Amino acid sequence: MKEIIAVVRMNRTNATKKALIDSGAAGFTALKVLGRGKLVEDKSVIADRKANMMEMAIGEDAKEAEALIDGFLDGQRLFPRRMFHIIAKDNQVDPIVQAIIGANRTENKVGDGKIFILPIVDVVRVRTAERGETAL
Amino acid sequence: MYLIKAVVRPEKRDEVLYELTSAGFNAATVVDVVGRGKQKGIKIGNIVYDEIPKVMIIMAVKDVDKDDIVSVIMRSAKTSEKGAFGDGKIFVSPLEEAYTVSTGAKEL
Repeated sequence: MKEIIAVVRMNRTNATKKALIDSGAAGFTALKVLGRGKLVEDKSVIADRKANMMEMAIGEDAKEAEALIDGFLDGQRLFPRRMFHIIAKDNQVDPIVQAIIGANRTENKVGDGKIFILPIVDVVRVRTAERGETAL
Repeated sequence: MYLIKAVVRPEKRDEVLYELTSAGFNAATVVDVVGRGKQKGIKIGNIVYDEIPKVMIIMAVKDVDKDDIVSVIMRSAKTSEKGAFGDGKIFVSPLEEAYTVSTGAKEL
């Protein structure tokens, strides 16, 4: 058995839930979290979005706006994300991972999230005290 | 790879994250949690507070970075040279696979 931890965009929560049902993993736990990823070292990745945001800031002090936008995009800030915990049988892991990736890819080059896979040693169903894969 | 879960004081959150960035480890997930430790919470008069607010910092790290990151958190989350009850805990568990959604690549 494996635990799949996926961190995804807030506005993709419903798409992810639907993808999980379609891939055969209906049960999950979800949390609201704050997160950040790698620092953006290659500035060309965020150039498009920076240009977009600079357009929105027309009429403001350009230097001030640029400093603000840089701080927003360079990756040091914490942004809200949704964290899913899913426990699955070994052979379900790949379809679930592909479903989460399919539901969460966007045109933005950074910030789509991460998926982690950890080993699970045992599972107990509280109602019947069943153990192992039958308890899933 | 490893998954590091560090439970630290809420007022130390920004300091720990800043120190991690300075050391070159930027990626982290932050959750507000409540919990108690070995001291069974705090007893003030007749009232026991056993749901003490903390912040959990979750990080997926490469094998070679694990010890560095643990020592950075250890250093920056301490409230004094000796440390005090309630400064937190760091848990490390094995991580088998990691995927990046934007590229679909099987890497951190």
